[in-house]
Amino acid sequence: MKIITKKEFLVFVDALIEDESIDIEGVKAKGEKFVFGSLESADELQLDYDVTILPPKKYFLPQYETMMTFDLSKPFDVERVEDPKPRIIIGVHPYDIVAIKQMDTYFLDTHVDDSYLQRRKNTLIIGSSVLNVAEKAFFGDMRTGSVDSGYDLMLTDMGDKIAIDIGTEAGEKLLNNYARSVQEATPNDIQKVRTIIENTSAKAKRGLLVKPQGWHDLLEKNYDSDVWKSQAEKCLGCGTCTLVCPTCFCYDINDEVDLNLTTGKRIRTWDGCLLRNFTKVGSGEIFRERMEDRYRHRYNRKGRYLPDMLGFVACVGCGRCSSQCVPDIADPVNLINKLAETSQSIKKSEATPLTAEDKIVSATVEEPLHVPRPATLKRVEKLTELETFFEIELDDGLPLGHQPGQFVEISVMGFGEAPISVSSAPNGNTFELVVRRVGDVTSKLHAMKPGDKVGIRGPFGKGFDVEALKGKTLLFIGGGLGIVPMRSLINYVLNNRQSFAEVTILYGCKKPCELLFKEEVAEWETREDIQFMRSVDKCPEGESWDGEVGVITCLILKVKFDPKDTIAIVVGPPIMYRFVIRDLINLGMPDENIIVSLERRMKCGVGKCGHCQINGIYVCKDGPVFSYKDVKDLPEAFT
Amino acid sequence: MKKPKVAFFDFASCEGCQLQIANLEEAIIDVTKIVDIVSFREVMKEHSDEYDIAVVEGSIMRPMDEERLKKIRANAKILVALGACACMGSVQRMLNQWPMQESKDIVYGEGDPKDIEDNPYFANFHTKALDEVVKVDAFIPGCPINRDEFARVLVALVQGKKPPIPDYPLCVECKKKENVCLFELGKFCMGPVTRAGCDAICPTYGSECEGCRGFVSHPEENAYAEVLEKYGLTVEEILQRKTMFTYRYVEKAKKEAKKDE
Repeated sequence: MKIITKKEFLVFVDALIEDESIDIEGVKAKGEKFVFGSLESADELQLDYDVTILPPKKYFLPQYETMMTFDLSKPFDVERVEDPKPRIIIGVHPYDIVAIKQMDTYFLDTHVDDSYLQRRKNTLIIGSSVLNVAEKAFFGDMRTGSVDSGYDLMLTDMGDKIAIDIGTEAGEKLLNNYARSVQEATPNDIQKVRTIIENTSAKAKRGLLVKPQGWHDLLEKNYDSDVWKSQAEKCLGCGTCTLVCPTCFCYDINDEVDLNLTTGKRIRTWDGCLLRNFTKVGSGEIFRERMEDRYRHRYNRKGRYLPDMLGFVACVGCGRCSSQCVPDIADPVNLINKLAETSQSIKKSEATPLTAEDKIVSATVEEPLHVPRPATLKRVEKLTELETFFEIELDDGLPLGHQPGQFVEISVMGFGEAPISVSSAPNGNTFELVVRRVGDVTSKLHAMKPGDKVGIRGPFGKGFDVEALKGKTLLFIGGGLGIVPMRSLINYVLNNRQSFAEVTILYGCKKPCELLFKEEVAEWETREDIQFMRSVDKCPEGESWDGEVGVITCLILKVKFDPKDTIAIVVGPPIMYRFVIRDLINLGMPDENIIVSLERRMKCGVGKCGHCQINGIYVCKDGPVFSYKDVKDLPEAFT
Repeated sequence: MKKPKVAFFDFASCEGCQLQIANLEEAIIDVTKIVDIVSFREVMKEHSDEYDIAVVEGSIMRPMDEERLKKIRANAKILVALGACACMGSVQRMLNQWPMQESKDIVYGEGDPKDIEDNPYFANFHTKALDEVVKVDAFIPGCPINRDEFARVLVALVQGKKPPIPDYPLCVECKKKENVCLFELGKFCMGPVTRAGCDAICPTYGSECEGCRGFVSHPEENAYAEVLEKYGLTVEEILQRKTMFTYRYVEKAKKEAKKDE
């Protein structure tokens, strides 16, 4: 540990500020509150602050970030926007350093976020021990009042002098290059620093009844507690608790076109699971419409879902959500204690806020995460009033390389990006999508012609495990648009017919005019090596239909299969799952024989933006294809 | 692509929202590159009844306004409500709290009532927003409008996209700007129920949000009322605050309460 006088420390900070090649950010006053902001002089720095309004996550995941620019006058012109300026953040409290380490794990674990990594690598963190404890802080309870890594330098303000703990070589270099009269700390100084940290950590305890290790079990046991509802009734749904949280990372992505109608940018901005439209999909459905479901989700994500996924409890005890929630219902201490009052014998898990690993060194970028690859529409065919078929080729000439059941993110620059299931079996250099017209992106796609350019990211997610299906008897049950992802597997099976036992396809839609793939359906009908049946819910006047009439479940009873020895592949609208699965189970089919494909708002496709979460799973990463046995106990899966 | 023709119209309003557009400064040149402005009383003499997009400011107060708005609607492919008056009725909707005759008596009481009896200019009824008279395709809220938002909406309409008007509370923008919450300063703010999109301009400069952009589609009004009470406002005071720009919602709530009875 080093020691520097306060006066020399200020000279050091001013020397940093003078170096125009670096952006120096630090804690400053804003009214009676504090914020991280650009330092113009060392005098502005407030090392005795209690807590800032926003955490330093804004430097790594900015509130508004131009991810790429585009030029619509050129065939496909997308340029990733770099943010290469080195930055130093001064005064980061230990609990926020823990949060940054968690963020590193989240963004750099799999599907490395290149823009995040660049900003993270360009930033040095000068931490600062907490001197004044904010009223609602509970980092003492969370044991995040001190850290032994995650910083380049760590300061402790001792009044007339400042103790500096060197965390990295880069930190040491900084000190060597910009500071004067740095001395070794005496054992007395070291003891003093320890006392300061111990004292503030002791002050930052608010009587949390269940330690973070117990949150997982507590939340699991109390999923149906009345507490959620009674708290959520007071909730404004304003999103503040998520926006100010150092461990809430969810984001949205939108395109903005300039007034010239030619240039524009794709912007990433903060989103939050407490906001009503967070889970809204193109067709208008909202999957967590009730406030209590949104309110509960936030705590479960912090105490259960992220611990399951990444091994840490995503709360560091900063107290920002508590102090900034106007109706005062966001305080984790209060919530955990409320749940604890009615719960006994809580099991401990391994997860604490501190279990995040150091990811920053090992992370490597394979390709920019959000930048689409250019592709060309080869064939465009209108299938129905609402659905259009597209055959697409990537401009780099490579096959998409997908498995049946996976999806891509298709971009029309200036309009946005939408997740669409691949509808073709892996075959050749092109792939096929069927797009229903519901929003801006899909409406624009419907107006496009062969030769037009789109952007493609993916393929994403887990598709059907075709190897595991080989040799099995298969029962396909497709409803409405569900036939689209299902077709990728049906065609694979029909192309490799000898590898599978009996094959039955049941296909239902609302009315005859909504039937997709009419020619292929006609061919399925005549094939002798499969059994095929189709139904419509009803046949309106003026339309003709020679199949069954009634909801798709009526077909299940008309076909013969051994439920114990058949794999059912069920894809359709949310309402269909409930009835089809109920009937299959009543017939004696085991849960593990049922395979489903679920739809949610897969905005990023890579398990980061948070929109597609069903309880603890990400549909975009863990699905969209699931074994029913893995999702049947998730309360949010089949609502 | 042929440039769409745009015409501006105004009803009961201060015309300040159109002024915002006139004040786009250099960007107004960009606007004229993507649309043809065929009628805009604040900046040009010419007028044409041939237009694709009608941008209409102001609220509807008289039968003659209704007639004129219906004609505009019939001429336009797309009708845009510009500003708080057109979207909600805004400040002049406070009038709807009292019987119309009572207000007329106060305002015109001194003279001979015969002077205004048959005059269509004085045939006021209770304030209406545009969508209470005709179908409105896009709403640009605010008093005044945010001119950047106007530009975004115009681009979206020309491109055939849905107008990008946010549907989340103002708190989102306030937090992203790292403003000190006005409630923490002992003030009362309508941000938690108000539609974002103004970049939280009032709270950023320390002024309470008065809801000039109207409410989000599903405001948590009960939770909000509880908060205001907690911070010391009476029910009357809460209602008073809602009356300034957002009396339309109060009227709606009153109507629904009546239905429940």
